[in-house]
Formats: sequence, structure tokens, C-alpha cells
Amino acid sequence: MTPLLSVRDLVKTFDVKGKGDGVRAVSHVSLDVAPGQTLGIVGESGSGKSTLGRLMLRLLEPTSGNIAFDGISLTDLNVKDLRRKRRDMQMIFQDPLASLDPRMSVRNLIGEPLIIHGLGTKQEQSDKVKDMIERVGLSKDALDRFPHEFSGGQRQRISIARAMITLPKLIVADEPVSSLDVSIQSQILNLMLDLRRDLNLTYVFISHDLAVVQHIADTVAVMYLGEIVEMASATEIFTNPKHPYTRALISAIPQVDVSQRRERIVLGGDIPSPQQPPTGCHFHPRCPVAMPICSQITPASLTLQTLDKSADAHTVSCHLYTEGSES
Amino acid sequence: MSRYVVRRLLQSVIILLGVTFITFFLLYILPADPAQQIAGKSATPETIANIRAQLGLDQPLLTQYWHYLVNLLHGNFGRSYIQRTDVSSLITSRIGPTLYLMIFAILIELVIGISVGIIASVKRGKATDNAIMLFSFVGVSAPQFILSILMLYVFAVKLRWFPIGGYGTPQHFVLPAFTLGILGSGWYGRVMRSSMLDVLRQDYIRTARAKGANEFRVVFVHALRNAILPIVAMIGLDIGVFMGGVVVVESVFAWPGIGQLAWQAIQRVDIPIIMGVTLVSAIAIVLGNLLADLISPLVDPRIKLKR
Amino acid sequence: MSNLVRRLLKRKLATFAIIIILLITGAAIFAPWISPYNPDEQFMNGLSLQGSPLPPSHHYLLGTDLLGRDLFSRLIFGARTSLLIGILANGVAVFIGTLLGLIAGFMRGRVGSAVMRFTDLMMAFPALLLAIALASIFSPSLFIVALVIAMVNWVQIARVVYTQTISISEREFIEATRSLGASTQRILFKHLLPHLLPTILVWATLGIATTVLLEATLSFLGVGVRPPTPSWGNIIFENQAYFSTAPWLVFLPGIAIIALALSFNLLGDALRDELDPTQRGRS
Repeated sequence: MTPLLSVRDLVKTFDVKGKGDGVRAVSHVSLDVAPGQTLGIVGESGSGKSTLGRLMLRLLEPTSGNIAFDGISLTDLNVKDLRRKRRDMQMIFQDPLASLDPRMSVRNLIGEPLIIHGLGTKQEQSDKVKDMIERVGLSKDALDRFPHEFSGGQRQRISIARAMITLPKLIVADEPVSSLDVSIQSQILNLMLDLRRDLNLTYVFISHDLAVVQHIADTVAVMYLGEIVEMASATEIFTNPKHPYTRALISAIPQVDVSQRRERIVLGGDIPSPQQPPTGCHFHPRCPVAMPICSQITPASLTLQTLDKSADAHTVSCHLYTEGSES
Repeated sequence: MSRYVVRRLLQSVIILLGVTFITFFLLYILPADPAQQIAGKSATPETIANIRAQLGLDQPLLTQYWHYLVNLLHGNFGRSYIQRTDVSSLITSRIGPTLYLMIFAILIELVIGISVGIIASVKRGKATDNAIMLFSFVGVSAPQFILSILMLYVFAVKLRWFPIGGYGTPQHFVLPAFTLGILGSGWYGRVMRSSMLDVLRQDYIRTARAKGANEFRVVFVHALRNAILPIVAMIGLDIGVFMGGVVVVESVFAWPGIGQLAWQAIQRVDIPIIMGVTLVSAIAIVLGNLLADLISPLVDPRIKLKR
Repeated sequence: MSNLVRRLLKRKLATFAIIIILLITGAAIFAPWISPYNPDEQFMNGLSLQGSPLPPSHHYLLGTDLLGRDLFSRLIFGARTSLLIGILANGVAVFIGTLLGLIAGFMRGRVGSAVMRFTDLMMAFPALLLAIALASIFSPSLFIVALVIAMVNWVQIARVVYTQTISISEREFIEATRSLGASTQRILFKHLLPHLLPTILVWATLGIATTVLLEATLSFLGVGVRPPTPSWGNIIFENQAYFSTAPWLVFLPGIAIIALALSFNLLGDALRDELDPTQRGRS
């Protein structure tokens, strides 16, 4: 099945004035997202996941690499065609207060994509807006109010309504619940799950919170300092994590069931500055099982056998697996 | 530091080039037919064609501009259409009185502005302060020429203390210099006031007071020294402000500087002279701004230079 | 909007300014009805035996001018000219300045720098001299005078709009709107511009003060509005010779000019305090 979204060897370097090389936020990332799938991208802040999300929609220009969406090369599109394509690929932002124009009414905010892409008559547009606001769990009298009159969770619902109204094929959600109260988080997540089912959506869900991703993703990619260090189906990642970083992240997920409590792997230090990435494997300074080779050679991405043969491939970039030895 | 200086100098050169291009454009490209203007109303078509060739008006734009620029660098600002003399010699002969007036006007502005600013800051919030602020606000709103005429009327016509404009004796000089001085002081006054207020809030002032220094010393020795720093940079900008009003002031007071030259040229629609004065003013402004930008980091170590 | 007006009226100075502006505007609009005489009419008994202007009297409320015309009538019609040019010139300046500032601020890069370098260049010229130069080159007419003033005044608004646009366009809702597929045009006019309106309003108001002053100065120098059309500036220009014998001919228009400019300045300042308290004090 052709993937809905496909990125190949994506690199994004930000120039820093005064220094020569710049910051490599995203480094040689390749992945596919199948239609109907939900890909979760996890990493700490500074891992480049938000940048990757924006690159996927070409909201940022990649320094090099290829993006293909719905069979078309996004990187080759001219500005006008790119804009038109946006109807099929939308983004949900982390801070709904900042991402909604404070001077526009909710009605205009949600309806704007329809006007931009010229979808339907005025009456049809108005009906769609009314339909969408109720779908996201708000009442019709919210339409004439303004973003600042709502709570964080409600604002995120408005953002979701706005993103969904053109019935896109792909939604990239950048930390959509991180700024919300924990109790509200699950409400919004459930809303997103319902909409996924009703509207046949494909999600790319970016988060630093593995617990959240566990709830919603089919496939998980783990990022560290601009690179994907491990990628597998959600079940694989959580039951059979291979990369030391992934293992540390998973061990940190709070577990309610005492019998399921894992050994907490604590990582030393902070994520290094992207301007000065460590040599070889970027993770080696913090890796509890680092070997001498790790500081010298960058590990390639390897495909491993999965426990469940029918599941997606499990790839990992780590020298522990280079010789084929399992640990 | 020297990187900054070089960069600023380069910027100024570029702006000056741009200035010369605009004056060139206004002088030769915009008017309907400069050749006609130079030749005068009763010239024959041949004369006009000759002049056109002489001026090189049929050549491409950039070539013409190049000639113009080269001429400028040699001090040739063109010739007046009407007076048949070089613009540059007219300007050089008249620039003396203007410079003289400018220097003294700025000096008076500084003296009045700084004193008034200090007083206002010391008496902050009270009637004196409010009165001073209102006065400086009005000074900005009222056009120079009206206040100049007012001063002339009160002091020259009614009180007869000074002559009604002209040049030559110290008495002739007092009114124009003081009118400009009073009008311009408002600007310095406001800056001085806020600068003093900032400084007086600082800890080292409190320390000085605690050490027993009397108020006079505190204000004039400790505070003033630091508060005056922003004023220094303003002087450069003030040159620009002065240039903006030079035509009006000199025409009201019949002061024989380049402003009056421009005014006479206006009456006769003598465009080369007008452009010459405009160019000289623009150059003065660019140099003044450059001076201000170069002096402020020298004088105030707190100012961080943009990298 | 009505909320803003109410807040303004609470400020004494602003209220004073608004009253003056309304009075002068009223005079300008109703000029033909409230003016005692035709401003261009030169009266036979309008001059003294020696041919000099008459002082205020029963007949001529504020006296006559050098050609025997009623000063009061000319002042009222002069309000029309000064206000008209002030608003027209300022309107054009605001339009050009906003457009250029918006585009330069949003697109940044080379377009942005180019526009800003150009404004730096324009600021190297003293506004008055540039206006004089332009006015001398083109043949005189009310329209040209307004245009010339606009050419000189757009620069400041462009710079202010530019800095504001840059700061607003960094906000996330602009990125979000881009991600919806909105065109640059849409973002500029439906999203950026509404956020700029308070700033534009403040500077437009202050701008009228500058344009009124500039027109008055140009007319005083003889390159602005030409007589017989009355403008407060050219009334002073025409009657200069009599300023010692009939000073009211010079000072009454002068007071009118100061009143109008001061009022717009006060109003603009008050608007600025109300709409953006972070910008207190003149730049």
C-alpha cells in the first residue's frame, strides 16, 4: 500500500549568525506513514520532533531531502499548488491561545479554511461550521465568542475543529495536549480518536509524553538530537524496546499497577546542545551501556526481527545490534 | 569597535550616494525640460538642443548620474538657471552665517534644555515640572515660523530691544539664536529630565547622599555626569533638525545664510539652488547622524554595540 | 470603538483637543454659511486711505487684509483648506506607509531590507526642504501640495508599521493561518492589518498635525497653497509686510495653526496612551 506521507533523508539546518555550520535540527530522517495509521513521534525538547512535524507539511523548507504526500512530491510543488494541497494536510498546534487569532470569532476561525479553499456556498460553509463545532463537543453559541473567553481544553477543541473542517487526509498534531490539565488531556485524546474513526484520518502525533503516545499511536518513532533512533509498532516499542534511550524513556512512564513496575533507568546529564552534537552515536555520553565504538562511529539504521512477524518493521540505530547480537 | 566604525562609515557613504541620486533625479529627470529652463523663455529650438547636448540629457540615465556625481565630488553643484553663477560658490559664500547660527543656537538649546531638564527632574510632579513639560510640548506643536515671528514682534517691534532681522552686529544675532535656542531646548529638556530621573534612582546616588554629600553636589557632580550622556548623541541629530528649519528661520530674520538663499531661490523657482541647499542639508544630516552614532558608544560604556 | 471614545473623554486634555478639532472642522464644513463675506471679495472700503488693512471693526469682525478682504471670512475658508490638505495628504501618507511597511515587515528578506534602506535614505533629507524642492518642480495646485506633503510624510508610518508587523508576524497564529493554506494577501489584510489598526490610528492622528504644520510652512514660504485660495499659512505670507502695524493679520492665523496642530498632537498622544501604554512619551 502506498504510504500517505513519505519522507526521505530529510535534513534541516538552521543558520546561526557568527558560527559557520549552524544547528542541525533534523538529520537524515526517513519514514513512511500509511493511510489510516497513527505515527507517534517522541523525544525530549530539543530532539527536533516539532521541526520534523513542520517539515512534513513543508511549513519549513527542508535543507535537503524529499517529502511525498498523497503520491505527489511536496518538495517540488510551487507555492500556489502547495497552498492548495494544504487542504488535505493540517496541523494542530501546542498552544491554542497563541495559534488562534484573538481578534476573530470562533465562527470565522473555524470557517476560514473553507473560505480559503473555496469549499461550498456560504450556506453550506455555515452548516459545516455548525456541524463541526458540535462534533468537537462545543455548543453552537460558542460560535460568536472569542478565543480568550474559553478554557484551554475548549480552545484546543476549536483548533481541532478548524483543522478538521476541510476533511483533510493527514493531521500533524504537535504536542496537542501538553499544555492542558491531565484530566482534560484524556478528553481531547478521546476526541481525536473519535474523529480519527469518523473522518478516516491519518495522524502524526508528536509528544514528549510516552504515556500519551501509548494511548493513541500505532507506530512509534523515537527521536534524539535530530535523528530517529528507533521505530516500531506501538506494541513492539512498549514490550520490546531495543535502544537504550527508548528503554530509559519507557522506564520513566508512571505505572499504577505495582506488579508492572519497571526498573527506572535514570539518564545522566541533559540533552546536549544541537550545535555541538557528540561524535559517533549522539547518545553515547548519556548511554548506560555505551561501548568504545559508540563514540567513534555513528550507528546505521538496522532492521530487526520482530516478535510478531506480521507487524511493521522494527528499526533501531545502535551498536548493540550491529554485530547481530541480541542483548 | 573598529568594525562598528567601519560599518557605520560605509552605511553613511551608501546613504550619501543614495541622496545624491535622489537630488540628481529631482534636478534633471523630474522636471519637464531642464534645457528649456536653463535656456530661458525666449530661446530658439537650436539653443535648447545645444544645451541639451551640453548637459548630456540624451545619454543614458546612469551615465548622466555618473557625470553628476563626478561633478559633485569636484565641488561643482551645477549652475543656477537664473543667476548664471555656480551654485557651489553661492553656497560657500553663504554658509558662514548659517554655521555660525547653528553652533550658537545649539549651544543655547543645550544650556536652556539641560538646566530646565535638571530643574524639572528635581521638582518632579510639581507645578514647575508640569509647566515645563507643557511648554516643551507646545514648542513641538507650534511651527517655527510663527514663534519666530512672535519673538520678532515682541522684542524687535514692540520693545525695540533688537533690530528686525539682518546681519552684522551682535544685536542682530541675539533674536534668531535665542528663538531657535528656546524652541529647540524643549527636546533636550525632556530627555535631560527623564535621564536625570533615571540616574537619581540609582543606588550610587543613594550612597552619595548617605555619605553626607549635600544635595547640590549630588545633583550636579554625581548625577549630572551620567545623566548627560544621551544628550551628547542628540547633538548630532540636532544638526538635522536645524537643517529642517533653516529656510524658515533665516527668511523670517533676514539672516543671510543658505536658508535665505534657498528662500530667494524659491521665489524665483531657481531649482538648482534649491537642490544644492537640499543636498548640503542632507549631507549635514547624514554626517550629524554618523557623529551621533560614533560618539555615543564612546561616551556611554553601557551602550552595547550591535554586532 | 465607543468604549475608546468614552475613555478619551475622561482625559481633560484629550477632551479639550477634541472640542477644538470639532469646532474647526465645523467651521470648515459650514464655511459658506457662517462666513460673513466672500473670502475673495476685495471691498472698496476695505482699505484705509493709505491703502493699508483696516483693524477689527463693526463691519469687519477681525479687520481686513492687504487687499481689503475680510480676514474672518478668509480664516474660516482657510480652515477648509488647511484641514482638507491635512487630511488628504495624511490619508495618502498613511496608505503608502502602511502598505510598504506591511509588505516589508511580512516578507522581510531582501524586499524588507530594501524598503527600510529606502526609508533611511528619505529620512536623510529634511522634510521641509524636500517638500519645497518637490513643490517647486511641479506646478502648483492644492492637489499637488497634498501629494508633496504625503511624499515626505509616509516614511515615519512605514517604519512604525514595519517594526510592528515583524513582531506580530512572529506570533503563532500567523504560522497557523499559513498552515491552513492562506495566501499572503489574506494573511496581510485579514490578520495582520487588524492588529495594526491601533498603531495606525495613533500615527494617523499625529500625522495630521505634521501635515497641517507642513502645509502652513510651505504656504508661508510661498510654495504651498497659492493665493487667492486662502490657507492659514498663505494669509501670513501675504500680509508679512504689515506684521508690525497690523499684527493680528499674522497672529490670528498663527494661533489657528497652533490650535489645530496642538489638538491633533494631544489627541494622538492620548490615543497612544490608551491603546498602547507601553509606548508612553514621544519617540
